[in-house]
Amino acid sequence: MDKVRLLLTLITIVIIVVPIVGMLLAYQNNLLGLFIPPELNEIAEDLTGGGEGTNGSGLGPPTMVGEPEYDPATRTYSATFQFKNSFPVNLTIKSLSGNIECYEHGFILGNASLSKPVSIAAGETGTLTVLGTWTDEAINHFRDEHGNEEFVDVVLVDFAVDISGIQLQLDQSQMEQKMQVPNPAYEG
Amino acid sequence: MNAILTKFNWFGLAGGVTTLLVIAASMFYPWWQLTVGDDLIKINASPVNTNFGVLDTSFTIPFIWALNVIGLLTLLLSGVAMIIYSVMPTKSFAKPLLDFGYKKPLFTFLFFIIGLVVVTVILQAVLNFNLPLMGSTTNTLPIPFASGVTLTVLLSAGFQWSFWLAVVAAALCIAARLYHKKVATTQQPAVTTATVPSTTTAS
Repeated sequence: MDKVRLLLTLITIVIIVVPIVGMLLAYQNNLLGLFIPPELNEIAEDLTGGGEGTNGSGLGPPTMVGEPEYDPATRTYSATFQFKNSFPVNLTIKSLSGNIECYEHGFILGNASLSKPVSIAAGETGTLTVLGTWTDEAINHFRDEHGNEEFVDVVLVDFAVDISGIQLQLDQSQMEQKMQVPNPAYEG
Repeated sequence: MNAILTKFNWFGLAGGVTTLLVIAASMFYPWWQLTVGDDLIKINASPVNTNFGVLDTSFTIPFIWALNVIGLLTLLLSGVAMIIYSVMPTKSFAKPLLDFGYKKPLFTFLFFIIGLVVVTVILQAVLNFNLPLMGSTTNTLPIPFASGVTLTVLLSAGFQWSFWLAVVAAALCIAARLYHKKVATTQQPAVTTATVPSTTTAS
């Protein structure tokens, strides 16, 4: 009976020690590799834009293409953005929101939201259409402060985008480009 | 009927078989799973098989892999020991096999839970990162070298059915240890005593 107990104790020691020692020997020249596998470094490179298969950071903000369009009848405007999916996985832009602010006066003119969710395949660039409606106060602001300007400089503030369940919020300093929107109260 | 019930340790047999089933299930179904966003990051954890999936890239951490091998071998030997013991509970080697086998599923379960809790506490204390053990929560992550950018992630975690199967296996093995007393007592050979009448001789 004692021999059985001794044998079982020896087996217990062996099955604990052998995998640990074996792994330590295998990684004796790179102990950090025991905890940080090479795949993790590759993923980090992909995320920061250092990977071969990527072109810039995967966390870059969308860029606006073309001029925003305005429908006077409904007082709604639409702007088109392009978003590069630098990740090696398909993404879905589930929502996008922000406020449009007058660049010169810092006046909130209205909000913006994504017209519909957009799926973008890995490495591809997707087109997002952002819709918004000018408020009554915004129309007054356009008329009173920018009545003689055909286009008004605006910036997108409080920008937030939900990408496959991950929400990215950018403050004004991260929105590198200001936009020009048609002045709905242009008197020229 | 009673002899059949006590010939084997049925709890031990069930515990041993369930332990082996736990090993098989844990290879494919994690005990605990964490997902970030819409499956952008996924962590599948069990004492037998732990892997990480980040943006469709799956990998393991070598040190955790070694711990998983220990967990796998421990549970495997425990299950086999429990089965051998259960069919021969009165043999001389049975009690050491039971003592070896019945604790392992419980200890594996406890180490797994303690490991998860310790990781959660460390992440909370060091990185102020709230990792849920069960349910969902949102966390705001700092992005290095990108001031003005806030990343908020939805984390969902939960214990899977294989975890509860491990709980059943541990409970059955403990029940086997308790039931062993009954099996051992019943299988004791009957001791007959006879009273020898004393004879007195008159002198």
